[in-house]
Amino acid sequence: MTDPPQMTEDEFRRLAEFLYRRTGMVFTESKRYYVERRVWERIDATSSLSFSVYFAHLRSEVRDEVEQLINAFTVNETYFYREDHQLACLTTDLLRERVATKRPGDPIRIWSAPCSTGEEPYSIAIWLLENWKDVDTYDIEIVGSDIDTCVLEAAAVGIFGKRALMRLSPEVIARYFHALDDERWQILDDLRQSVRFTRVNLIETKETRPQGRFDVIFCRNVLIYFDDESRRIAAENLYDNLLPGGFICLGHTESMSRISPLFEVCRYSEAIVYRRPEELRRAR
Amino acid sequence: MPDNSSKRVLIIDDAALVRAYYRAALEAHGFVVGEALNGLEGLEKLLLEPFDLVIADINMPQMDGITFLRTLRSKELPVSSIPVLVTSTEAGPHDIAAARGAGANYYLVKPIKQETLAEYAAIFCGRPR
Repeated sequence: MTDPPQMTEDEFRRLAEFLYRRTGMVFTESKRYYVERRVWERIDATSSLSFSVYFAHLRSEVRDEVEQLINAFTVNETYFYREDHQLACLTTDLLRERVATKRPGDPIRIWSAPCSTGEEPYSIAIWLLENWKDVDTYDIEIVGSDIDTCVLEAAAVGIFGKRALMRLSPEVIARYFHALDDERWQILDDLRQSVRFTRVNLIETKETRPQGRFDVIFCRNVLIYFDDESRRIAAENLYDNLLPGGFICLGHTESMSRISPLFEVCRYSEAIVYRRPEELRRAR
Repeated sequence: MPDNSSKRVLIIDDAALVRAYYRAALEAHGFVVGEALNGLEGLEKLLLEPFDLVIADINMPQMDGITFLRTLRSKELPVSSIPVLVTSTEAGPHDIAAARGAGANYYLVKPIKQETLAEYAAIFCGRPR
């Protein structure tokens, strides 16, 4: 573009407020460059003549523009077996505790939120196949959700490059992927079918609640993008989505204790995770 | 590794992870693997493609393993005599009797080690060891 539309302070503030209300993510003046770059992209893509024209277009909610803008703003950076000590904790400790009160054939539900392009939920599926002797004994359901519908589409297709697979051994890659060419691998159909992908905004209770209750939730490196208020809402939503005694795994730099008093801390040899207490009933 | 390369096994199980787990076990021992998601789909597959063995789960949507077995065995087709290995989390004596009564050749209770599954598959495909 020859004449990039400039955002005034007021325009920036209105947009930041709009994004905050829709996503819970906070963009301050310090992120101005980051914000402007992505908004220019969308102004260009929609052939809007100025920021104010674009903002009106955005607020009129036509043609999924809100979704497109949110997609441009979310960070999608991950790879298979990221923080695999938590996956080790899942099979050695968390599932062992969860199945203690279950019978063979009972459901075990695991939620990866946000799942980005599918690396995390597929990692969970592969890890269970490789490391959990009871994988055929329970009815395992893995759900991957994200706020970004573009990444969900990519996740369902399941094509990955070298970088995403860098932590997997050649044997594991050979077992669960087929090579499309020298640069791209597609995950096997069985694994694609083992994960259900769905769009969920973690701060929208009306979107989190229908997902039902889970035994284990992986919610890594997303709450750090939220402000205190959104973080608290997300934590309460996640609490509601856990079965009593169910676990939530955060990123290694995150701490639930600072966000919400609802959970209890559990220390295992491989990881620190949080649990929805068994007996506690929340006063409403 | 015994030569199972010409032997074809049909896995009937509604759980994608279980199919992947069994497929990995069988392919590691040279079997060619086909899949179906329930009994009805299993019957269709058997009419369309040749198989040497069926490994079928019990609890499945649309058509369960017992109904699948009864339907398969009641047909007067060459494929009706194919060996069927039932795998299930149902471990009671009446469950095993029901599967046997419906025409199962053998019954394994989940969880099943990959090695064990491959061994039984080899036996039922005519390669006792």
